[in-house]
Amino acid sequence: MSKNKFTRSLAGVAMIATVGAGLLVAAPAKATAPAVTLSIWTFGDVIEPALLRAYKVIHPEVTIALKKADLDPSMTNLTTSCSAYVQSHRIGNPPDIAAVEVSYSGYWRAYPQCFTDMRTLSTSSANANAHDLVASSSNIAEGLSANDIKNNYLAWRWAQGTGYNDSVIGIPTDVGGLEVAYRTDLFKKAGLPTDRAKVSALWPTWDKFIEVGKKYMTKVSKADKKKGVGFIDNVGTIYAASMNQGTYKYYENNGTDAGKLVYKVQGMAPVYDPKTKAQKIDPKTKKPMFKKGWVLNPNILKAWDRTIAADNAGIGTRIGQYTSDWNVGMTKGTFATILAPAWMMDYIKGQAPTTKGKWNIASLPGGGGNQGGTQLTIPKWSAHTQEAWDFINWYLAPQQQLTVFKTYGLFPSTKSIYNDPSLTGFKDPFFSNAPVGSIYLTGIQKLKPIFEGKLQRAIDQAIGAGLGRVSAKKQKSLQSQIQVMIDLDKATK
Amino acid sequence: MADLAVKGRSRQKAAPSPWKQKKRKPSKPGSGVASLNGKWAYVFIAPFIAMFLIFGLFPVVFSTQLAFYKYDPLSLEQTWSWVGLDNFKDILADETFWISLGNTFEIWALSTFPQMIMAIGFAAILRSRFLRGKTFWRTILLVPNITSVIAVAIIFGQLFGRDFGMINTAIGFFGLEHIDFIENSFASHVAVATMITWRWVGYNSLIFLASMLAIPDELYESASLDGAGAWKQFTNVTLPGLKNTITFVLIVGTIGGLQVYAEPLTLAGDNGGGSSHQLSTLTMYLYNESFINARYGYGATIGILITIIVLIISLINFVVTRRVASEDK
Repeated sequence: MSKNKFTRSLAGVAMIATVGAGLLVAAPAKATAPAVTLSIWTFGDVIEPALLRAYKVIHPEVTIALKKADLDPSMTNLTTSCSAYVQSHRIGNPPDIAAVEVSYSGYWRAYPQCFTDMRTLSTSSANANAHDLVASSSNIAEGLSANDIKNNYLAWRWAQGTGYNDSVIGIPTDVGGLEVAYRTDLFKKAGLPTDRAKVSALWPTWDKFIEVGKKYMTKVSKADKKKGVGFIDNVGTIYAASMNQGTYKYYENNGTDAGKLVYKVQGMAPVYDPKTKAQKIDPKTKKPMFKKGWVLNPNILKAWDRTIAADNAGIGTRIGQYTSDWNVGMTKGTFATILAPAWMMDYIKGQAPTTKGKWNIASLPGGGGNQGGTQLTIPKWSAHTQEAWDFINWYLAPQQQLTVFKTYGLFPSTKSIYNDPSLTGFKDPFFSNAPVGSIYLTGIQKLKPIFEGKLQRAIDQAIGAGLGRVSAKKQKSLQSQIQVMIDLDKATK
Repeated sequence: MADLAVKGRSRQKAAPSPWKQKKRKPSKPGSGVASLNGKWAYVFIAPFIAMFLIFGLFPVVFSTQLAFYKYDPLSLEQTWSWVGLDNFKDILADETFWISLGNTFEIWALSTFPQMIMAIGFAAILRSRFLRGKTFWRTILLVPNITSVIAVAIIFGQLFGRDFGMINTAIGFFGLEHIDFIENSFASHVAVATMITWRWVGYNSLIFLASMLAIPDELYESASLDGAGAWKQFTNVTLPGLKNTITFVLIVGTIGGLQVYAEPLTLAGDNGGGSSHQLSTLTMYLYNESFINARYGYGATIGILITIIVLIISLINFVVTRRVASEDK
């Protein structure tokens, strides 16, 4: 008994001590906001660490927890999380902010029930004095909804984050843009001009680009060819670049959630001979045979033919991007050009630091280009909607995007700073002091919004596989197109 | 296996350890732990049963249901739409499914049989009287098995690189054409099979070694008295003694072979398994359809077909094993 009593009194003392300590701590804490952990689901380098450090200074009480995955798995995670919410209102461990890549934006547009409509949100005073705490940061006014900040952003990028009923489900981060990064030393060796204006003038169209590639390849020694040296890293990238220069891809906006699929159209389809695996020739007229049937839409065919033409010309190395071969090839000079979005410049710097000063940037054949881009969304089941909205408004505000551009090379999606001299005049010594700011700006402004449909990512992958089959000589172009249509019919069923 | 476990337990009950007997006080009727035996048993097995219901039974029932539906978990109105046997019909007409099935078996064959020969060879070397530092070699053999699959796949992916991979560099040194270990269907299967073999050959050779050590030395002695050389001893004494172990390794290898996922995925770099699905295996195809293409019903149907295939193979195994066992008697 006596032992029991002793224990109990000890517990009492401990309790008093704890409560006392709690009071002592609680008193000064009253002044600041309660601690919040913002959970952000992201991939790649969408959220940059330098800005997170700045945000920590402005908001010591906000802890940002990044959960990174690869692009496709991150979308699978979001699907799982949202289905748990939609099906049974289970919350679990929700993301407060989720990054959605542009190739999936059409998919998520079909499910607005997963996202908070940002028109209904309103910024608090949390970042009203951010500039006082971090000099490079801008202040964010109180009471801003998505409608109030819309005009800051590039129209076609903004549209990628809007749902059907005009709801706003995501705010754009950066713009990819797309230009040609080329190696001046290798161009010089091949007897090509090295000056960026002259290089850009070499290839106003894709056909001319392929011509230049052929010319380059004639200067490559036989031994180097055997080692896999080429003009461009991967001709497959021409497909995506060419598609983005059109006005539509696989879907048409018909006012429905999913959009209308237009990857195939009725037309004169080539008659395919399963024996020779090529187009049948009419024995009488000696001309290729056609009959009425389904064909891939003209935009796809145009991009497809360009890609195959480049492949047949033998100007590509067929190294897959983001593979170990690619990283090695970048340093070794296995290829002289890469179709590079703005965000890839940072990747090149990281992977091939020894090539500093050997790169330059020329404009993309066929006009402006884009590749990639991300929206930050707030899932409906987020536990900290207000804090998430405050963070997004600060993080994607023009001033902060400018900082990211200067630090990491991601091109801002906020058009309000496109006249800023620190952007237009920005030069990168790694890329022979190319004025990357103004180069990418010119390309970006030429683009028109493209309707991104629900299954765009899957369709892109099926077509990419089709091009790969032709390139690996497994199938003839026509045969591969027919299989692509079969695959797409299945994928979109 | 389950039978063995039960037998083992009942034997323990029949003959409690002397230590237990000494400590136990004579229990009064109606009190103490002994009388609660029946009820406590349920408490002890409850965690397993709960886990099994959640992670074992429920997914099976759920995916069986899925196979007959088109399922859209994000949709507010039309989550489940009945499609009957459509998923099954579509799959049987789906070229990719058959490609994946063929790939799975090709990779299985390429990894299992060479591996078995190598493992028996290693085991024979390890058993040799002249080998020094036996424990060291045995440990070394097991190291590949404890490394992470993904790490192995990444390293081998670099070895098999088309342009700068070490293997192709070696091939190029002899003036031969580089082999595309990703696009070329057969070469890619060889690459995956190599990874699997590298990972499992040591493990299997230890199993063979254990079984070899169980072969009585007298058999070898009498064989050598009869004038049998080392090779004759191996084929006439060692191999027959390993018959059961070979069957066991084959069964385990088959189960593993049907689940090959990480190696081809990492080598192909995408869930589709390359441009003509040359690296797509059954499990990869299941994952790709379910979670990348969000066709859950279709994916579940693939799962059911995998189950059916495993059942057929198990049946074959069962028949073969029984025959092997009856020959021994």
